[in-house]
Amino acid sequence: MEVVNARSALLSNFEVLNLLRELDAEHIARTKTAIRVKKEEEAAGKNSHDTHTEEISENLRTVELEAIQYLSADYQPSLHQSDASITQLTGSLQPFGLSKAEKLQIVNLAPTEPVELYVIVEELEDRLGNRMKDLLAAVSKSLNERAPEHPNGAVVVPEVKQTHDEDAVEVYEEADQETWEYDANAMEFDDTGEGAGVEGDLDVDDD
Amino acid sequence: MFVLSIIKDTIAILPTNFGVPSAQALISEINKKYANRVLHDVGLCICVFDLVEAGEGKVRYGDGCLWYKVRFRMVVFRPFASEVILAKVKSSDEDGIRLSVGFFDDIYVPLAYLPQPSAFDPNERAHFWLPDSEATTAHELLESATADRMYIDQGEVVRVRVEADEFYDDEPGPPKASEGIAVKREARRAPYSMICSIAEQGLGPVPWWKSAQPDGDAMEEA
Repeated sequence: MEVVNARSALLSNFEVLNLLRELDAEHIARTKTAIRVKKEEEAAGKNSHDTHTEEISENLRTVELEAIQYLSADYQPSLHQSDASITQLTGSLQPFGLSKAEKLQIVNLAPTEPVELYVIVEELEDRLGNRMKDLLAAVSKSLNERAPEHPNGAVVVPEVKQTHDEDAVEVYEEADQETWEYDANAMEFDDTGEGAGVEGDLDVDDD
Repeated sequence: MFVLSIIKDTIAILPTNFGVPSAQALISEINKKYANRVLHDVGLCICVFDLVEAGEGKVRYGDGCLWYKVRFRMVVFRPFASEVILAKVKSSDEDGIRLSVGFFDDIYVPLAYLPQPSAFDPNERAHFWLPDSEATTAHELLESATADRMYIDQGEVVRVRVEADEFYDDEPGPPKASEGIAVKREARRAPYSMICSIAEQGLGPVPWWKSAQPDGDAMEEA
């Protein structure tokens, strides 16, 4: 085992939340199919020969659910963000001359007050002065762009259970977001599943 | 807060999983091995992001598993130094405050990083801050009016700046022959812990810095 690069790219909380939600949806779908198949087999009277049960790691489920809970808490801005709004936000942060770390923190924390910005950006008055208001306006704008649309946005995630058939699970549809209009300057969102638009901007190696 | 790490490893797929497409089986095995575990000097591994490349599965002499040499990217939790994050207060004691982000809770704020002047109230079991106070000793602070105190209660959401993080590798060494069977287990230290600060303006409980009126005056406390 070898760690080739311990820090090859930075990820925003929103991207990680999406990734974990996808994973969660996959797991639930897989468990449902497994249960359905089992029921069919029993109904058909076949002997329940365990052909293939893929165990899902407990550790993975635990960290996944707890991370989803943390990242989608109501004090986090990720409920009000979307791929398009983040791409637009990073685009509008360009002229302010901020470092990658500062831009990432602004995306993660979505400061709407000067005080919040103060802790993120060093030497705020020297570098930004009266453009601070513009920056805060850009952040608020990106948050207001969409109301929480996720089916399980603010809902508390249920306890870890292997059988989920009693919960009405809605698979998180990412496809719906792409019908929004983009800012003309924003990078074209290419759904390669890697958040190429956002991640590319925050890639550490680019510096 | 999260980074991508590129890791190279050799993973075995058991014969029971040969029916599953290999990429999926590999990701599943990697997650089983790494998820929710701390990698020394890397951070807390969350899940696999994607596979960069994987070689052909080879069978080794001695078992029936297919061994793949894999290179993959992993989502790792490791805030960088001086990053600002949101966390919840898990508990407080005389030495400081302990915070949690749900999936990780070895985040500590030692006394030195509390806003000055502040003290620990043993009755409330919470720390409090007395802004604009001239008192210096804990004794004087505890004499202050309760209404003036800004408490940091359990379960509150706080904004903190990460100052440092520590990795502790507690790999047990080879069993010492002299000690015999009963080896004393020492107190477990967390493999990964973080020290944070709430000493600056803007840090600490989020409600402290929420301005009620939108009149734009910058550094006002709540």
